[in-house]
Amino acid sequence: MKSGLVLSKSMLSENPIAMLFLGLCPALAVSVRVIDALWMSVGVILVLVLSGLAMALLSRHGEVDRGSAAAGLLRALVITSFLTASFEAGLLSLAPTASAALGIYAPLIAVNCLVLGRGMPGVTSPSLGSSVAAALGRGIGFAASLVLIALVREALGAGTITLFPVGGFGGTIEIPLLVEQPVRALGFAGGGLLCLGYLAAAARVISGRAAAKSAGKEAA
Amino acid sequence: MPDVEDRAGPAAFSLMPAPHLSVGMSTSRMTWLVSLCLLPAAGWGVFLFGTPALIVLVVSVCAAVLAELAATLPFRRFTLPDGSAVLTGFIVGLLMPAGVPAFVPAAASAFAILVVKQTFGGLGRNWMNPAMGGVVFALLSWPGLMSQWITPRGGSAQAAVMPPLGALRAALGAPGVKDATPLAVLSRAGFTFSDIDSQVVGWINSHVLAPLGTALAPGTFDVLVGHVAGGIGTVSAPFLLLGAWFLLSRGVIRWHLPVCYAGTFSLLAAIFGGLGTGQGWFAGGPGFHLLSGSLVLGAFYAAPDPVTSPLTNRGKCIFGVGLGILTFLLRFFGSLGDGVAASIVLGNCASPLLDRWTSRRATEDVREGAA
Repeated sequence: MKSGLVLSKSMLSENPIAMLFLGLCPALAVSVRVIDALWMSVGVILVLVLSGLAMALLSRHGEVDRGSAAAGLLRALVITSFLTASFEAGLLSLAPTASAALGIYAPLIAVNCLVLGRGMPGVTSPSLGSSVAAALGRGIGFAASLVLIALVREALGAGTITLFPVGGFGGTIEIPLLVEQPVRALGFAGGGLLCLGYLAAAARVISGRAAAKSAGKEAA
Repeated sequence: MPDVEDRAGPAAFSLMPAPHLSVGMSTSRMTWLVSLCLLPAAGWGVFLFGTPALIVLVVSVCAAVLAELAATLPFRRFTLPDGSAVLTGFIVGLLMPAGVPAFVPAAASAFAILVVKQTFGGLGRNWMNPAMGGVVFALLSWPGLMSQWITPRGGSAQAAVMPPLGALRAALGAPGVKDATPLAVLSRAGFTFSDIDSQVVGWINSHVLAPLGTALAPGTFDVLVGHVAGGIGTVSAPFLLLGAWFLLSRGVIRWHLPVCYAGTFSLLAAIFGGLGTGQGWFAGGPGFHLLSGSLVLGAFYAAPDPVTSPLTNRGKCIFGVGLGILTFLLRFFGSLGDGVAASIVLGNCASPLLDRWTSRRATEDVREGAA
């Protein structure tokens, strides 16, 4: 399969949050503020892509054939944990506040990426391009859903949008009326699930339409 | 109940399988009748709290109607005549405090219609009672605004206007008020009742109860009649019960659910209610807890919603008992209002399951029997 096709497929029709319902726990916990969602996305994309790269390189050298399936899982586990620990250490030194905000969900990126990487072609296909594209697609798909949920939840649930502070801009946009009486229900986990439900419904409608369109093209 | 069609136009003749029975009742007639039966309680609320209460009611009904139109007109459906949108908005408004800013009932009604009802496909397909969902949404989102009460007409001004339950919760923190019934706790904490109440209770005490050696606590009349701060349509138990009696007599609702609900709640309040006020076991007065709060409205008007409550009588009984337990727990230990809306929303989750458990099967399932 072409890398571009793999990228778009793993980003949209196999979107981990909206279509496959994978990685929901961080998706609910980290989507209260946009900035936390952004940092989480950076971590997930980095770990996914680098581990996809490492796995592809290993399989290119025939390492995959050695040992059992359990050994393969163990290998994936070691690689993702190593990458996650590196990301965590980097985050702690570069952005300590973001590290504190992510809390337990920063180390949990390891588990998350293992779950997200399940069934990815990296382990079986020796093609560097397609495995990295799949990892990138999954990562971007996860990030897009997460940031979208966080945007809705923070804008409505707190009346603010928190981004990176740049120059004179303090990093927080306040939405005039909402900031005084925000819809707090969306800040709770139940509100997060509600946003998730609508996102999943929208994703299904869009992918259903796209599938119908491509089917129509083939018929013609 | 989408399968019960409105019998609007008389057909020339119709072919249907047996049984050919008609109860003369349709979904739209039922919902309009329920709205009608809530009117006396709403009128009492408007009388007590004045124009702000009327504004809240109008805003919540209008918001529900607009939301219903916005959700159905794009699909070329016109569902307003079924009356459910008006009823939902009406109940949302009745549960609101009169002093709430108008955007809260509007948002609660819109949430009820758009998210709780129309997202799932409209009337008959929602699993949660829309009005209760909307109220819980408002309670979670704007807890401060949802406790902006107004002193009832003729009531004495208090430092902080609160409904009896809120005042009780606040008073129990003060020293030297415990070891008494809820109303006595309120009196000791300095909560004053109206002049009418002191006259009526004083007259009954001196003329009727003094020879018997007992006395009514001050505030009994106020709480009984609903002359207290509270939700617009929830304060007046007598008017709500009047409407409920009409609904029961017309067969719109059946007695099983409300009786099991109120009964279980009263039993639990009687056994454990006294522990919180320092009176010990079996000393809680369930009357105060039954009448102050939205339990009467919830038990007779919201919980028996045919869409979201079990259909079988046995299921209704179990549902009612469960709601009673939940309401008791949320009222005595929770913070989400008086817990009625939240417990109905929680209970709704179980009603499909109760239907499955309690419905009679026409034939035994062979596979299940073999297993």
